[in-house]
Amino acid sequence: MRILILFILCFNFSCVNADEIYNLLKIPNLEIYKLKNNNKIRYLNAKADFAMGVDNNITCNKTGQNNLEDKFITVEKNLNLYNAKFLNKINLKYIVLCENLFVSEINTGGIPDVKKRTLILDINFNQKYFERMIHHEIFHMIQNSFKNNFNENEFSSLNDVSFNYAECSTCSDRLNLDLYLNTNGFLTEYSKSVPSEDMAEIFSFLMTDQNKINEIIKNDEILLNKINFVKSGLMMIDENIL
Amino acid sequence: MIKTVKASLSEKILFIFLICLAIFALSSFFILKNKCLFVDKADLKKINFKDKENIAVMNIECGNVVIELYPDISPNAVQRFKTLINQKSYDGSAFYKVVENTLIQAGDLEFGNKEYLDYSKIGSGKSGLGLLESELSDEFEFTEGSVGFARTTEFNTEDSEFFITLKEIPIYQGEYTPLGKVIYGLEILRKIKTGNKAIYVLRPDYINTFRMLNSN
Repeated sequence: MRILILFILCFNFSCVNADEIYNLLKIPNLEIYKLKNNNKIRYLNAKADFAMGVDNNITCNKTGQNNLEDKFITVEKNLNLYNAKFLNKINLKYIVLCENLFVSEINTGGIPDVKKRTLILDINFNQKYFERMIHHEIFHMIQNSFKNNFNENEFSSLNDVSFNYAECSTCSDRLNLDLYLNTNGFLTEYSKSVPSEDMAEIFSFLMTDQNKINEIIKNDEILLNKINFVKSGLMMIDENIL
Repeated sequence: MIKTVKASLSEKILFIFLICLAIFALSSFFILKNKCLFVDKADLKKINFKDKENIAVMNIECGNVVIELYPDISPNAVQRFKTLINQKSYDGSAFYKVVENTLIQAGDLEFGNKEYLDYSKIGSGKSGLGLLESELSDEFEFTEGSVGFARTTEFNTEDSEFFITLKEIPIYQGEYTPLGKVIYGLEILRKIKTGNKAIYVLRPDYINTFRMLNSN
């Protein structure tokens, strides 16, 4: 029996990638891209393909040098909108950049992890929505860190009584990220999936195109209330974030 | 009639060469097996320490490693570390996590001791003294030879496990509670058995003794 356990351990141990970043974040095959930043955020990139999570259900590919240099400018520009104090409050310290991020074979833009203070971003995500996606994922970190500020039942009650969200964000076909011409309480089709995605979509527009949002809410009372709800939740964390 | 064949000069030279080669191979085998052979060993009596109260000496297979502790940076963590050293709790502790030329980790008092090594639980053992709050420093740089308190993926879970960096690891700055720095014996630490390409070590090396200098 002992020999069997030893054999299993030998096999398991040899699968663990031995480096200091893995030791800290439990994500293999990463290297430091940029460490010193004003808002204390630390950027890492995948030096080789990696798989992690339950049954290795999260996969991502290594970053190409040119692609990384190109996309990093956008990532950094958007992360610089947040100050160190705020990022510390929402438990975000590490940005992991990789290409073609999949969760259980579903392509995704980012994976936030409050516990590890890490946000994994797919730099190959559709460039049309790339900047918005960054803020969308950051909102998930905000919400996970301040659940009481963003009560989903309270938020849902602001919708028309006849409207129902889906059971989960991936179990509906409401995935389009384009801004509706006629909003009717929702900015995008994806907003209709679940309350947390709806709030994240609102936040992402507030961070990237606040003027447009201010224009839209003049004629959309439901959206106005929902935006005010998100804003008030944010104000309790940091008055200057928007 | 048997004719005696005399060895030629070149055959004699070849024979001598083979004998020499065999002697060299044998002696190399025994010399190279001794990993501590070329490691400098410190004579503690000859070193003039400024702050003897905060000097700890860890004895391992290849010699003594001298660590200066920094209570000014992490008072509670250093106090805990000293308490465990004075209780001789680290004696026999396994260096079960070793990343070659990067870091070594020991101090699981429950499941990582020479007397009781449980591979399935190692890294989760407790000291019985409770968890400590992280004492993070944005100033302390994890350069070569830095000693820090290990923790789980969450902060405020420091207990007894510690690690020593064998190279500069800037990403650890502000992430781990600093305990001190190795002021002598880095080469000795580099001789600690690694897990080949794995982070965990099977049949690891152990701490022989760990003492405060003023208790010797």
